[in-house]
Order: sequence, then structure tokens, then C-alpha cells
Amino acid sequence: MRLHEYEAEEIFSKYGINIPLGGLAKTPQEVKQIAESIGVPVVLKSQVLVGGRGKAGGVKIVDNLDEVDIVADKMLKTELKGYKPEGLLVLKKVDIKKEIYLGITIDRTLGTPIIMISTEGGINIEEVSRKNPEKIFKFLVNPLQNLYPYQVISIVKKIGLTGEPLAETVIIIAKLYKVFREYDGLIAEINPLVLTEEGKVLCVDAVLEIDDSALFRHPELNKRKLDAMSERDKRLMKKGATFVKLNGNIGLVCSGAGLAMATMDMISDYPALSPANFLETGGGITSDLMVDCMELVLEQPKLDAIFINLYGGINPIHEGAKGIAKVIRERKLNIPIVAKALGNRQEETWETLEEVGVHIIKESETQKAVEFLAKLLGVKAK
Amino acid sequence: MSILIDKNTKVLVQGITGNIGTTQTRYMLEEGTNIVAGVTPGKGGLKVENVPVFDRVEEAVNNFPIDVSLLFVPARVAKDSVLEAIDAGIKTVVLITEHTPVHDVIEMKAYALQKNAILIGPTTPGIITPGECKIGILPANMFCQGQVGIISRSGTLAYEVAANLCAIGIGQSTVVGMGADRVAGTNLVDILKLFNQDKDTKVVVIVGEVGGTQEEDASEFIREGMSKPVVAYIAGISVPPGKRMGHAGAIIEGGKGSAKSKIESLLASDVKIAKRLYEIPSLVKELIS
Repeated sequence: MRLHEYEAEEIFSKYGINIPLGGLAKTPQEVKQIAESIGVPVVLKSQVLVGGRGKAGGVKIVDNLDEVDIVADKMLKTELKGYKPEGLLVLKKVDIKKEIYLGITIDRTLGTPIIMISTEGGINIEEVSRKNPEKIFKFLVNPLQNLYPYQVISIVKKIGLTGEPLAETVIIIAKLYKVFREYDGLIAEINPLVLTEEGKVLCVDAVLEIDDSALFRHPELNKRKLDAMSERDKRLMKKGATFVKLNGNIGLVCSGAGLAMATMDMISDYPALSPANFLETGGGITSDLMVDCMELVLEQPKLDAIFINLYGGINPIHEGAKGIAKVIRERKLNIPIVAKALGNRQEETWETLEEVGVHIIKESETQKAVEFLAKLLGVKAK
Repeated sequence: MSILIDKNTKVLVQGITGNIGTTQTRYMLEEGTNIVAGVTPGKGGLKVENVPVFDRVEEAVNNFPIDVSLLFVPARVAKDSVLEAIDAGIKTVVLITEHTPVHDVIEMKAYALQKNAILIGPTTPGIITPGECKIGILPANMFCQGQVGIISRSGTLAYEVAANLCAIGIGQSTVVGMGADRVAGTNLVDILKLFNQDKDTKVVVIVGEVGGTQEEDASEFIREGMSKPVVAYIAGISVPPGKRMGHAGAIIEGGKGSAKSKIESLLASDVKIAKRLYEIPSLVKELIS
């Protein structure tokens, strides 16, 4: 779960990380009120959850108080990459002496938190990580211990900080690490962390992404996430299923992410075929879950066929088959459905599906089933 | 022969009294797995499929020799249960559970490393040495005995690859699901090293997928230390960048972790690449005969 910048700043600020004066506004009037109280120039930032916001025009500096509401009105109405802003974050513009990138994430291979700091802060940090990785200084934290501030002094020195800003940045890292661990962060990032002309260190942009699997430990955030979801999406999430819309013509239902990706790879070998969606059931198949999965797939607009690929390891696929059959019967579907289902209780599964006219492929190769599908639709591989 | 488990392996099942624990215990017993005990706090004294149940891992360990603990526990208690098994002295722990918080996984991984234990998972289908021992949820009818080692990041793809090999008469020494989460208890390269040392594994198949850098890291070891031929397949070459595909692991981050970068790095280590899943059996056949 990715939080909005204003939400992340609220949390960072609670942990004692300094942010510029300002606040969130939902209307041009509110923007103006905040600007009046903190004084111009102000920075207006669209609250949308997309990357590359600055480059897409979602950040504007306004010097003149009379223009604030006009600019704000326009920004509030402007969608960024298809998303309407939830509001504008209004912040007092700070005088930048030095910009720093500070981020914490998890090193996936080592399985440890990793703190990264660089003077090449700002919007090009990803490019820096590819072209000049030596300009990013890293510290790995033992997950079984706390982070002690002294441990990160040396990486902060490496970016050239001395004196008061050095000490202050070290403390900010310790605070950000605390946020990262206590909020089950996947990413906690300040980009940029700004050293001001007056010698202060301020968090000017905050990113916090939280591990969805840990939301049970954060009931408030969990509630916010659930409130934004449909009932069916909630049921799918509860069972661990994942759906991604892809706009092609073949609806997919697979019992595993790897299997789903491999299936998509094979389908994509046919120029006339492409996946309408990615749907991975996870390990919690029930008859009801399959009803939800099928209905979700059937909502995709350009369907020519549905392709089902299931394995009965932990999943009771014979139960799943009942849900599929129920949808086919009740909705009197006549769209072609090809299914490959193997594993525990495969014979019962086949029987249930064959009864409702599903084409069953009993071989173990997904490719055979994809070839069958292609033949059925009369299309050829490239 | 095999890695990690064989016919002599004695198994504990944590979470044995739950629905999944009970069903899967029955399936494993049918395959001849030597399950000696189960644990569910508060259910001590019961029996599941004739297997005695204890309240604590330590009690089970005091009553039976145990080599491997297999866990079917809810995600929110996974860390507690894994640490309990390791503290009781069990050296191999297999965590089937999906959706374990990654901050718990990194603590388990570090703890296992500190105590010289092997943690397989989370989100793994488990391990099977066909004909000898099955620890996990893998459907046994997909596998057959032989000399190919399989390491898969995806559970279901491990089943399909094994079944396709069996269809042309090629069996497996051991199949290991390394788990599909952002962080795996044991890395791909560590399992490769075990297969490299196993005298009866002739060829190793890596079933990878987009996301992370496990395959890139493994290719370095293959180049420098692997004495056996390796075949690899990477799922997700058609996955649009930036889409999250279910496994927390399957995220494409910039150029790194893409199918293309993994394939290029494996090719540089002389690994035979199957562009599609169905090409694996013929590549393996060439190498094994």
C-alpha cells in the first residue's frame, strides 16, 4: 500500500522528522488560506499516487499570493497519468543549499534492510543508480538488532556533510529507520532531504509504501484500504487472489503467479491472442472464490475465450470446478472455455467441467492447451 | 539420491490440526513420508491421522528425533512458529504459509543463518524427493524418480516442469520450491550448491521468474563453481514492466530483474535457456543422455 505524500509526511513528522510549514488543501480557497498563513513563495504538489509526478507537471512553485488560487484551481482539476489528485499539499518553499537522497528498502537477496544515501538527490536518482552506483552509499542493517545512530555516521560523512547537518542527518536516518520497521515499510524515502541556507535539514518529499501482508498490524491503514475497495475485491484479497487488467482478448484464470506468467508468455506467441487479464487465485481456492474469479474475468470487454490453468496441490480444484460450472450454467455462457487442471482429485474436476461444455486438456503441457485454444479460435502462431 | 530430504527424514508438522494441515498430512503419509509428530498450541494429546500432537515443538523434539519441520500456520504467527522450531534445534524448516509480512521474513532468515538452520519458503510448495519423501503440498502424481534436480520460484510451474519431464521418461532427484516472496529464506544459489554436491543429480533445472536478482546472482556461481549442466526458464517475458503480478517478488524494477536481464546473465554462464516452458524437456534430454 503506497501512501500519499501528505500521509507519509504526517507519519514522518510524528517521528520527529522536520518538514516545511504547510498542509493539505482540497479547494483553491483552502490552498490560499494556507499560503496566507505561511507566506509565499509556496510549492503546490498534486496528491496522486503516480511516479514521475514532477516531470508530469504535478508540482508548481507560486511566488505571488494573488495567483495561488488560480494555479491551485487548475492543478486540482488536472489528472496526472489518469488519476485525479486527492488534494494539494501546500508547502513553504525552502532555500536549498544541498539536496540529498535518503531511502530505506529491503535487499531481496540478502534479506536485510538497506539504507541508501546520495548527494545526487532529486528526480534522477534512478538514473544515478544505473549509471553511477558508486555515488550511492549503502548500509545494511542486521534485522535482529536495532539501528544505532553511530553506525550510519560514516555513510553520512561520505556525502560530505560535517558539523551540525551531519549530526542532524544521522538522527533523521535513525528516525526514518524506526518508521520503516514499525510501519512494515517496503520503501521509506526522503527525496530530497534538503540542507537549507540557514543550516536546517528538512524532509521535502516523503514516500512510504507499506507491505500489504502486514496491514493486519496497522488497523487504521487497513481500514482505509478496505474502504476504497469493492466487496468482490475484498473477498478476492482475503483469499489471496491477485487480478491485473491487461486489455487483451483471452481471459485467464490460473492457480499460481508463475503458472499465469508462463501461460501469458505462450499465449503471446500468437499475434491474434493476448491476455485480457492476469488472475492468480493463490492457494485458497473454493467454489465461491471461483465464482468471483469467473465473474471478474467475464467483465473484460473484448473476450474471445477463457483459458483456465489449475493445479491441485494445496488447492481443492474439484471445489473450484463447481464454482466455474455454476457460473457457466447460471449465465448460460457460450464463450469457448479451455481448461487444463491437474493434481489432487483431477478426475472429479474434469467431470464437473466437461458436464458444462468446458474443453478439457488432460496432458501436462500448458502449451498443448494453448495450441488447442488457438486452433479453436482459428489463429496461427507467428 | 537427493538433497535435503530422503526416505529416512523424520518430519514434524506445525499447524497439523488445521484444515489444510490435516488434509496435507494425509496426502504426505500416503506417499510414505515419515511424519512422526505434529504441533498445535492447545491441542496437545490429540492425534491427527494417527500422528501424536503436542502443544510445543520442544515437547515433540523430546519425544522423537526430528529432521524437518513443515509449517501450515497462519501468516501472523509464522515468525513465532519458525523461531520456535529453530530454537528447539530443528535444522530444516519449510514454511508453506503465504502472505507473511516481509519484516518477519527477514528476521526469520537472519535467525536461521545465525543458528545454522535452513529455512525454505515462505510461499513454497515444499520439497519432494520422488518415491522417498514429500514435505509440502506438491501433488505427488506430477513427479517421478530420476536424476534431474529442479529449483523453482513458482510452485505450480515446478509441478508442470516435473510432469513434462516424466512424460518423456525423465525423473527427478529432488524438487525444491524456493518460495515466491520478496525475500526467500534460502536463496537460489544455496540450493544450486546442494545439487552440485549431490552425486546422483546429473542436470539442474532452474524455473525462475521476473523480479529480484536471484537468477543473476546464481549465474555468477554457475560460471565459477557449478560442475553440472543447467537449464533455465524465466517466466514473465511477456509481462508488461511495472505491473505487479501477485507474487510480491514479481515486480520489475527498472532494467534489473527483467526476464531479459536474467536470460542474458544466465546465457553468459553457458546455461541452456528454454524460451518457453515446453522447451525444457528436450533441452534436459540432450544433456542427460
